[in-house]
Amino acid sequence: MSERFLASEQSGLAADSQSERRVILQEYGLICKLRSLWAVIRKEVTIFIRYPSWVVAVVIWPVLFPLVYIFNGKAFAGPDNAGVSTFANLTGTGDYIGFMALGSLLYMWINMVLWSFGNFLRNEQLRGTLESTWLTPMPRIIMLIGAGIGDCLQQCAVFSISLLEFYLILNIRLVGDPLLVLAVILLTIPTIYGVGFLFASLVVWAKEVNVMVFLVRGMVMIFCGISYPLAVLPDWMQSISRFIPMTYAIRAFRNAYLTDGGLGAIKDDLLILAAFGIGLFTIGYFAFIMVEKSVRGKGNLGVY
Amino acid sequence: MFDFLRHQLRAMAGIFKRDFKIFLRYPLNALFRIIEPVLWFAPVFFMGKGFAVDGQNVGFQAYTGTGDFVSFLLLGTILSSYVSSVFWGIGFSLKNQMTTGVLESNWLTPIPRITHLVGQTLFNVLITTFNSIGVFVIMMVFFGVNFDLTSIGAAILTIVPMLISIYGFGFAFAALVMLMREANTLVDAGNFIVNTLTGANFPVTVFPRFLMVISLSLPLTYGYDAVRGLLLGTRTLLPLHQEQLILVIFMVVMVVFGAWVFIWLERYCRRLGTTGMH
Repeated sequence: MSERFLASEQSGLAADSQSERRVILQEYGLICKLRSLWAVIRKEVTIFIRYPSWVVAVVIWPVLFPLVYIFNGKAFAGPDNAGVSTFANLTGTGDYIGFMALGSLLYMWINMVLWSFGNFLRNEQLRGTLESTWLTPMPRIIMLIGAGIGDCLQQCAVFSISLLEFYLILNIRLVGDPLLVLAVILLTIPTIYGVGFLFASLVVWAKEVNVMVFLVRGMVMIFCGISYPLAVLPDWMQSISRFIPMTYAIRAFRNAYLTDGGLGAIKDDLLILAAFGIGLFTIGYFAFIMVEKSVRGKGNLGVY
Repeated sequence: MFDFLRHQLRAMAGIFKRDFKIFLRYPLNALFRIIEPVLWFAPVFFMGKGFAVDGQNVGFQAYTGTGDFVSFLLLGTILSSYVSSVFWGIGFSLKNQMTTGVLESNWLTPIPRITHLVGQTLFNVLITTFNSIGVFVIMMVFFGVNFDLTSIGAAILTIVPMLISIYGFGFAFAALVMLMREANTLVDAGNFIVNTLTGANFPVTVFPRFLMVISLSLPLTYGYDAVRGLLLGTRTLLPLHQEQLILVIFMVVMVVFGAWVFIWLERYCRRLGTTGMH
């Protein structure tokens, strides 16, 4: 490809071959972008596995995190499970361990994406490498997409290991159709990474990761019912939860995994998730483009 | 000797001032340190409602001796905020200095490294105390709490050795962060494990036997338990005076151990030449 390009450059193209030159440039540009994308993914994965603590993130953390909710649930249920009947009435299942573990798994997913996307550009700002990286002739969005794919690979590992650990340690069995579980996960990806794009843009603009993560994950934690049925929330809080996509993702994931209701039980949630996914991904993409232009205009990209 | 002490105090005051300035420079961050514990508390509050029978948490009462899980959790939230501040405020701040590339230059100043940590710790205690007061007020307004304030003096006397020992542990943890260099997961998981195993959010009697053994071997568990016993009248794991004695012994051990580990690992990292890496 590159030889073709160089040959055409050296020979000098006649006017009638201008269109061919354009095609070559387009192809060349595409390959360059893909190579850049691959380099970013490789960089992210290399950084991730370079620190031994990745074992904690992938193997230990997924089973550890739900435990606090599960033990809380156990304390509320009481030694003779007196409280479980209320829980079963509200949720339709007495399996509060599965309910909480699956809810917290999705919470962990968005939490990790928020941290990794927030810190992706922010850390480069802190280390002073953001400006120099952005001076390379690579579209900035490629970096973000690369980070997203790198993160997706990590999350695949986290998800698989979590579900295996849930099965082995917490005895949580897959009751529903695995394909439906996969469908829920795939439809949740655009939503979560759309939020991630939006988030990365906000962090570059606001220069603050912690507060933004606390705010977004706090909303998910309170309004989306990761560890309790939404029916216990006051009406005004339930109204807010309807506008947060994670509410639908968590409910669909639980239903697909813990019940055998089939597609009919989660169809509406999947449609809403798809709509949120398209909307949030588009907003996230354009927010990043806008913020990139804005910080370049102001010249405060390297400032933290 | 007097001059040495005077210089150390001046250095600590300088570090205190630096941390205070950085803290004020990010006002939203400061505000969220008060709001975040409430955000963590809310899901457990609603979970409690999801298990209540006729509005009463009979299951919780059977485990603890009190159905007032809000006050139980509030005490845990406030005490665990000191544990979290050790992990995030001391452990993670070293990582931040490594990332921004100022750790080596700070440590090249003729101040003992341990003085840097003590200065950071003093600031940390003060800010966490202010935060805790804020959290307490918010929780009282939104959720309602009910403490037996006649035992507040004894509770404070129980909390003091507990806090000193936590900060002693923080010295050792800071050194570990310096060695591992990737602090986020280490801090997050460490904080979570300690708070979970010591029963910050629930009675440790819900643990299966093998976790119960670990939990009961951690002196912090007795700290939470004793303070709750004093202020809420919950059933304690051991007689109160025994729990308080454990805390005093733990305080002495952790301060000596923490300082020793920090000095030893700091020397080791200097030999490795990794202090400026991240």
